[in-house]
Amino acid sequence: MKKRIKLIAVLLVSIGLFSCEQDIFPELETAPPQLVVDAFLTNDNAPQCIRLAQSLPYYQADVLTPVRGATVTVSTGSVSISFIENEPGMYCADIPNSMDFYQVGQEYTLLVETNNTVVSSSVTMNRVPEIDTIEFKYEEERPGFNAEGYIAQFFAVDPEGPGDTYWIKTYKNNAFLNKPSEINVAYDAAFSAGGNVDGQTFILPIRQSINPQDEDANGDLLPAYSSGDSIRVEIHSISNDAFDFFLQAQEQIDRPGGFGELFAVPLANLPTNLEATGAFENRVVGFFNVAAVSEFTNWLDPNNLPPKNP
Amino acid sequence: MIHLLRKTLPVLLLSVFSFPAFSQANYTISGYLKDAKDGESLIGATVIVEGTGNGAVSNTYGYYSITLAEGNYTLIVSYIGYQTQRKEVSLTSNQKLDFEMGLEGQELEEVVITSEALDENVNRIGMSVEKMDSRIIKKIPAFLGEADVVNSIKTLPGVSTVGEGASGFNVRGGGVGQNLVLLDEAVVYNSSHMLGFFSVFNPDAVKDLKLYKGGIPARYGGRISSILDIQMKEGNSKKLGVQGGVGTIFSRIAVEAPIVKDKSSFILAARRSYIDVLARPFVDVLSEGGALNFYDITGKVNYKFSDRDRIYLSGYIGRDNFKFDANQGFSWGNATATFRWNHLMSDRLFMNLSGIYADYDYELEFGEDESDKFQWKSRIRTLTVKPDFSWYLNSNNEISFGGELIRYDFNPADATTVSQNQETNISLDERFSYEGALYIGNKQKFGNRFSAEYGLRWSTFYYVGPGSVYEYGYAEPGKRRPVVGITEAESGEVVSSYNYFEPRIALRYRLSETSSVKASYNRMAQYIHLISNRTASIPLDVWQPSTNNITPQVGDQIALGYFQNFRNNEYEFSVEAYYKETQNQIEYIDGADLLINEFLEGDLLSGQGRAYGLEFLVRKVKGKLTGWASYTLAKTELKTEGINNFEWYPTRFDQRHNFKVTAIYTFNERWSLSSNFAFISGTPSTWPTDRYEVQGYLIPHNGNNTRNNLRIPAYHRLDVSVTLNGKKEKKGRPRKNQDYWVFGLYNVYGRQNPFSIYFTQGTDRPAAGTPIDSKGVQVAIIGSIVPAFSYNFKF
Repeated sequence: MKKRIKLIAVLLVSIGLFSCEQDIFPELETAPPQLVVDAFLTNDNAPQCIRLAQSLPYYQADVLTPVRGATVTVSTGSVSISFIENEPGMYCADIPNSMDFYQVGQEYTLLVETNNTVVSSSVTMNRVPEIDTIEFKYEEERPGFNAEGYIAQFFAVDPEGPGDTYWIKTYKNNAFLNKPSEINVAYDAAFSAGGNVDGQTFILPIRQSINPQDEDANGDLLPAYSSGDSIRVEIHSISNDAFDFFLQAQEQIDRPGGFGELFAVPLANLPTNLEATGAFENRVVGFFNVAAVSEFTNWLDPNNLPPKNP
Repeated sequence: MIHLLRKTLPVLLLSVFSFPAFSQANYTISGYLKDAKDGESLIGATVIVEGTGNGAVSNTYGYYSITLAEGNYTLIVSYIGYQTQRKEVSLTSNQKLDFEMGLEGQELEEVVITSEALDENVNRIGMSVEKMDSRIIKKIPAFLGEADVVNSIKTLPGVSTVGEGASGFNVRGGGVGQNLVLLDEAVVYNSSHMLGFFSVFNPDAVKDLKLYKGGIPARYGGRISSILDIQMKEGNSKKLGVQGGVGTIFSRIAVEAPIVKDKSSFILAARRSYIDVLARPFVDVLSEGGALNFYDITGKVNYKFSDRDRIYLSGYIGRDNFKFDANQGFSWGNATATFRWNHLMSDRLFMNLSGIYADYDYELEFGEDESDKFQWKSRIRTLTVKPDFSWYLNSNNEISFGGELIRYDFNPADATTVSQNQETNISLDERFSYEGALYIGNKQKFGNRFSAEYGLRWSTFYYVGPGSVYEYGYAEPGKRRPVVGITEAESGEVVSSYNYFEPRIALRYRLSETSSVKASYNRMAQYIHLISNRTASIPLDVWQPSTNNITPQVGDQIALGYFQNFRNNEYEFSVEAYYKETQNQIEYIDGADLLINEFLEGDLLSGQGRAYGLEFLVRKVKGKLTGWASYTLAKTELKTEGINNFEWYPTRFDQRHNFKVTAIYTFNERWSLSSNFAFISGTPSTWPTDRYEVQGYLIPHNGNNTRNNLRIPAYHRLDVSVTLNGKKEKKGRPRKNQDYWVFGLYNVYGRQNPFSIYFTQGTDRPAAGTPIDSKGVQVAIIGSIVPAFSYNFKF
């Protein structure tokens, strides 16, 4: 929807109406800092890390203040894993597959104890569908959508049964597409719970939201993929609450700008599934999720593309 | 119905009937007031009985009625801008007297910018009422040179908007969805073209508008903030008339003519924007099937069967199209139809029966082809029957009574998605409801100084099946409430019902010939709600009925005012103070999902509101320089459990200072200069205190949980336009055609007025390991000076 809204701006500009934007630095209110817990675990073989930090005043563009010396554990009913601080504020653990720690349907509990606060949260790891394929195709320029060039699309089928939620992460040449405009989340095969599109191939806008949104110096979109580029798409199963978190994050930080701001929602705090007692009671932000991940990798070879659909 | 009302209101009527005039024989003078040139009925013209202090004001259809004791009288019929007529009457029986009034000469001293009697400001019982006619609307400098009804009322005190491009308007701290906008009695659910840059009313087809901000008469109801009542022209009943214009953005044409002379006439007016056509060669999106346009057609016919019966049929249809390419885009539009039957049951009992259809819908369509697409239609449709009676009881009492029955059909989403040829219907249930009302009111004179308009409206609402009925459980305030039960209501089954008594009263005490004090109180109930949590109201906002989970909104307002005219009514001055309290104001949880959400009600919160303010208005209505200046000092707040720590917070459209001037200077017959200036305090907005990062995304956070805690900078803007009238004569002979040019500059000093400020990370791709840049960005919707011209003609 957001990209379409941007097109309104394109259209209005076409009739000579110009909105304009400028960076400003207004005086903001101050508030006591928040305790930030960034805990997105996956069932990967790789080491998993949880980051603890304190928030900063909005305009202070520094690395967040790490929270050191905490005890961090993630446990199931039977197993408890300790996360060790291996750099300031970064608590990691290496959980080999052989432990069978990750099970779909298993509940995990996060417990963080700092010198003055206890934070806890529980979440269940949900199922994830396989990715069948990633395809490339050549597209003419569509202003606001894509530049002339190759765009990619992945295919996967949401399993039967409503209420599956996913975070779809894309890596181009092994670099995560990390712009707010590239956040891609799905509720079953579509955008929201109310949509109720279940047990189907992900809808087109989700399949195609794996293309980087990079612009040249003039603000024109660059081609998404070129010959030789690699693409890896990962589907992470996330809790319904984490889906809400990303959906709201998207509304808050992927700003259409210009005329699109007519359609924007006012600033609101993002939800959290963390609960704190002690000094940071009601002052904890961030999220805890344990995801099952499926992935698919492909390379763009223009000489070896599947035939176009008739 | 008359029987019922007679039964239920004996006490009130007792005071009304106990009038000494009953001892004599009484007769009635009645008739219609019309424009001599085009036969348009004159609304609000006065008929005064010289030397008696008695008189009447013509109603919406130009009808007046005065009942007097037998005798000889002189009637003075006047309407601003028209020649006053005097008529000697020897009253020995009931008399019919129609007046056709001619325009006054076009001398400069006679330039007037009010369409009401000069002392109406002081004399009118009602307060908080603003009037404007299309002649004035066309004089105000307009955005892109196009005279606009809704933009013109934004120059008045107590009326505001959150910014350019926002749909609708705000009155005395009320939301956009709390205004009842009527076009020939039909509800216009979205009054905007091109988002909110223009409104749907074609000024060539509009005769008169009245905006009630308070002291609302009992015949109106259904919204808690204001009533904007727009009357369309009937169409020239004397001869063919054509008028139109060519402007920067759109062109318009209106044709009006008699069908049967003095019995029947029509008007048909149309507008279309064509800028996308002109821009097509230069803009890729447009040449590939994209579109950006709107059109509207407004029409009306009337037929006079006899002196006692006349029917009117009027309608509007309009649409806005935003097409991204041939298959994708969105569009919205209103369609209305009003059938009215005026019937004189006696010389003193005037009836109008209206049957009204109103429809607002929008449609979105996205997708590359048939195998992958998304389609969504949303619609609200209403059918209304509305009998309304005016009973000119005697020269001191004018009773109005009637009723209203509305059937609502809400269809929030008729939607499908197709993914790889698999189609899913994601439509929501249609919802049905009925709203009914009965009312009675009286305009009563107590001697020469004191008058009152009082009444009572009883309204009721039924939310009925078929449809799913949702029951929600408890959640921490401000969080999404879970669904705990769904039951199915059968067709016609009443799911929930509400009713309210809405008392209305307005008082006027005349201190002198040129000054008066007024007071008013009104209670309003609102049963349908505009659901929107965006920074501005937009065409995609959906209307929802009151249900078992959404209670009707109720508003109480008291207002006090002082009115004075100076220099033989050349200057009008007024000051009004108001205080409003509202209940069951709709608010939204953070992250509310309002579009195509079956469980929408779980995301709504209910709060209370209060608004108060002081409005000053000075008008100069005659002379070379005319215009008005208004200043509003206001505050409007909400208190909602789950928001702002359950403390009062300002609404999005809370503007402390709102100062506006509109001035028109007429140099001579050909040249005039108009200008507008506005200074408006910045609107409140929620700003962050902190930043944090999750998964590499920078998140702004308000650590105090405050809402609308800071304000964007103030808004100010100057517009100027010059009107050049075409020559009246050609080669010594008068020209048949009249025409004029308008050259305008909007936002003369090119200020980038802030619409909103948003907070986000920079647009560059963040590099791993480095802190993310946090930005605040101020958006101006109109970022520059906007020139415009238009050519207008009439013949």
